[in-house]
Amino acid sequence: MNALRLGQHAAMAALAIVTAMVFVALYAPIFLVALLSFFRLRRGEIQWDSFSLQWYGKLFSNEGLGQALANSLIVGFASVLMALVLATLLAFYVNARPGLRTTILQFVIFLPFLLPPIITGLSLLVFFSEWGVSRGLFTVSIGHTLFVLALAYRTILTRLQGLSRNLMEASQDLGATRWQTFRYILLPNLKLAVVTAGLLAFALSFDETMITLFLIGDTNTLPIRLFAMMRAGFTPEVNALVTLILVFSILLTLVIARYVGRGAIGGRFRL
Amino acid sequence: MAALSTTGRPGHPDRRRGWLHLFWLATVYGIPAILIVLPLLTFLMFGFWSVEEGRILRDFSFDNYFAFAGNESYTRVFTGTLFLALRVMIINVLLGFAVAYFLSRLEGRLKYALVLGLIVPLLMSYIIKIYAIRGILGTSGLLNKLLIFLGILSQPSDLFLFNLTAVLITLSLALLPFTILPIFIALEKIPANYLEASADLGATPWQTFRRVTLPMALPGTVVGGMFCFVLAVGDFLAPELVGGTRGFTYGRLVFSQFGMAFNWPFGAALSVILLIVSLGVIVAAGRLGSPKWLRQ
Repeated sequence: MNALRLGQHAAMAALAIVTAMVFVALYAPIFLVALLSFFRLRRGEIQWDSFSLQWYGKLFSNEGLGQALANSLIVGFASVLMALVLATLLAFYVNARPGLRTTILQFVIFLPFLLPPIITGLSLLVFFSEWGVSRGLFTVSIGHTLFVLALAYRTILTRLQGLSRNLMEASQDLGATRWQTFRYILLPNLKLAVVTAGLLAFALSFDETMITLFLIGDTNTLPIRLFAMMRAGFTPEVNALVTLILVFSILLTLVIARYVGRGAIGGRFRL
Repeated sequence: MAALSTTGRPGHPDRRRGWLHLFWLATVYGIPAILIVLPLLTFLMFGFWSVEEGRILRDFSFDNYFAFAGNESYTRVFTGTLFLALRVMIINVLLGFAVAYFLSRLEGRLKYALVLGLIVPLLMSYIIKIYAIRGILGTSGLLNKLLIFLGILSQPSDLFLFNLTAVLITLSLALLPFTILPIFIALEKIPANYLEASADLGATPWQTFRRVTLPMALPGTVVGGMFCFVLAVGDFLAPELVGGTRGFTYGRLVFSQFGMAFNWPFGAALSVILLIVSLGVIVAAGRLGSPKWLRQ
């Protein structure tokens, strides 16, 4: 029995080492980028005495960066709004009428999320050009709406299905109209799910690059601008911009995690 | 507001099937049909057309598909990319399962913090991840330094940048959180008393793992692997940024048809092949991911 215990401990220790290595591999590259936005690199060695914030300063004079950020925010808000409305309508519908039709409907709305982004992006590009819709922020917003729809829908549907039917029946038995039940029972109970879905959708939209690349035309969002800068090489200025975006992403993730809640990570958090 | 009832009660037909209800139906079915299905169908059509002197010729033919199948350099890129995605998937499922299993055994604050530590890179911009990974792959990069420090290499190697190995490393790292999380969630959903029951009935920890944990974690593992494969097989950003000329992949081939080569119909045909592969994997994962004994 002791040998068994020992084996178990050894296995867990091995897993701990693998996990630690994975975390190092996930975070080391990012820390390096952040570091190199403050310090200079010479022959592969970091010059620890070269601390400066000049590259952050340079960002402010970078032409087009402000516009790209503004565009990203516009697209983010527009697509979150559209996706939330659509996702809510879909969730109510699917919840009310389970069956083959809604199963197919679900499969279809999951496609833009599951398929390689290149296919979603290209199919919309071809579609819009066939209908003479010129590329720009509008087409990008549509693309992002479809991309984030599945996650928003899933988040809201899960909450909706979790609401007990008794709650609804109690409300109606007590004489509430359907509207009152919706307004005072359903809506408050769904608020958290909608906010979570909105934050998740915004985070996805803010970082989306591949679909955007095909639908953007000749303006920029932040990731597209970044992509163009990256092709030029590994520069301190890009490092500074990347660091800022990373800080924003991390803050957003923490906010989302707060909303989703500590207990939820165990059971209710679903992709 | 009949539409808002959460339960379609049989025998109680919705009383007001008015304009609102019609509008609702039109939205729920119309928007996905117009913006998801129709573009995919348009795309399918495009694959049968051709391009001549910069103009799109709308004559139905299978020429694009024959051109693909008949050209060895295309098919080689295709199979090469399939194998690449397969390798990324295998690496990530193995690593992902190990990490997910370890995390699921933890308790309390540490567990919460580490799971959060996985969600952060999940929501992090994809191109930023690729860019950061590229930073450690070069001859003077962190990876080479580490390998020399460990004594595995005696001098810096250029094996890790601008080839398919670079693409493999980059994709594996960038997609790893997508693989870990579904597996972790599946492991978390296994009721603790199943494991206790197994132990009470005299199973060794290995037997419990093999006969209870592994089968019950299968759906999540399949989903994690599917995410990984589908994202890897269609990707063109990672190969574009770290692949150089030697790291050419199918995604880049498709991408180039819409850029430099400017042959949309051929590009569409190539994507339809990618679409079929992806759909096949998604449907297969859906099957494998919910085996009969779990559905009941």
